[in-house]
Amino acid sequence: MLLVPAPPPDSVALETELLLVQRLRDRDEGAMTIFYDKYSAALYGVILRIVKKEETAEDVLQEAMVKIWHSFPSYDAGKGRLFTWVMNVSRNLAIDKIRSKQYRVGSRTQPLEDSSAALRLAADSSFRPEHIGLQEMTRQLNPDQRQIVDLLYFGGFTQSEVAEELNLPLGTVKTRARAAIKVLSKLVR
Amino acid sequence: MDVQHYIESGILEEYALGVLSADERAEVEQVAGHEPAVARELAAIVSGLDAYAEAHAVTPPAALRERVLQAWEDSIRETEPAATPVAAPAMPAAPAAPRMTVAPTEPAAASVPAEGEAVVRQLPAAASAGRTRWLIAASIALLLVSGLGNYLLYNRLKKTENSLELAQAEQSRYAATQQAALNERDQQLAILRNQSFKAVELKGTPKAPEALARVYYNASTKAVYVDVRNLPALPEGKQYQLWALDNGQPVDAGMLNTDTATGDSIQQMKNIASAQAFAMTVEDIGGKPAPTMSTLTVIGNI
Repeated sequence: MLLVPAPPPDSVALETELLLVQRLRDRDEGAMTIFYDKYSAALYGVILRIVKKEETAEDVLQEAMVKIWHSFPSYDAGKGRLFTWVMNVSRNLAIDKIRSKQYRVGSRTQPLEDSSAALRLAADSSFRPEHIGLQEMTRQLNPDQRQIVDLLYFGGFTQSEVAEELNLPLGTVKTRARAAIKVLSKLVR
Repeated sequence: MDVQHYIESGILEEYALGVLSADERAEVEQVAGHEPAVARELAAIVSGLDAYAEAHAVTPPAALRERVLQAWEDSIRETEPAATPVAAPAMPAAPAAPRMTVAPTEPAAASVPAEGEAVVRQLPAAASAGRTRWLIAASIALLLVSGLGNYLLYNRLKKTENSLELAQAEQSRYAATQQAALNERDQQLAILRNQSFKAVELKGTPKAPEALARVYYNASTKAVYVDVRNLPALPEGKQYQLWALDNGQPVDAGMLNTDTATGDSIQQMKNIASAQAFAMTVEDIGGKPAPTMSTLTVIGNI
């Protein structure tokens, strides 16, 4: 299978990210509009994948933007990219949301296994050409690996919780998670 | 420390997935800080997950942008310390606590020492009556001003409502026009894609070598459509007429509308029972029963 690897973030993109970080650090309110335009699709996509409902996803994105602004001083650029940090803030908010009472009613894993819905969602999205599409990425993962990554990343499960949920030994979960993430990082290397 | 063992423990994945406690996170960061191999592995894991996240990108509804930015701005205004602590006294003084009895008299009391609350209460009755009169006058004036303001605002609201209605009507008209245009395009597209339509290229005659048009002919339904690529501009009072040639006999296939002749639209022409070729001539508006051969502009065989 031939895959064109995504180029590393080019210097221009990196520079805009650094500039944006600087402006956010200076509490420059204009930076938030730029931030929204640059990151909202990625954040919204992941939030939507977690909470499933568009209405909830919109609320969570709104909360995330507010939270990112207010907790920005705790972002340490030395520990990772802005993208990673804001993605984690948003993901955690979304996961908190599904763990809250009103969301507990349904089964926890069932919607995650509905991969066709995920692909449908992804098909609507506007991929940025420099990034590998979801379909190509998931084609590289076998279903077991994908299920584990999705439970960990979108379900907010720990590896032990996944082991319990899937009735697998913890070691197997760790091996599969490691293999899956390795596949993903190879794709972007 | 056995770096390889540490990498294989799965803790870096857990770090990237955000499932570690704060202490465990700090430990991973510390290890990555002095083990380059761990740092490299961690960076690769993080960028893999970032890419996986980004691959799920979905553009949010356009209306959300305004809403989110507004909510964010509101939250800044709420949490930042009130810039104007003097705002409170500007509030209407009437429902305030008894201590505030001096407040409504601000303009009149300006010369009274601020701490002279008791003094004010003990002013002679005459002065008090004068102040009451002044207050009544001021209230009436305020009421009038407020009434006038309301009236002006009401008028402006009506005007805004009117222009909003106009804009909405304009918009739905525009939408209807666009929808109609879109339906027409869809129909045309269906014709072009239909297998039973045969495309006939009509090439320019030496008179008009640049001219080019295409006829779509469906021999089973007899339908004829014309699609102009390029035709010379017409003199005043003239129109292009399409002819079907059946065994050498010209049969009128209809007149080309102006927007068809300029290539802006595909036009359905008269049904033609049988033809081996199509041609166009320039004729007086409304057409002729027989073509004027000297004005033959394009022709093509099926």
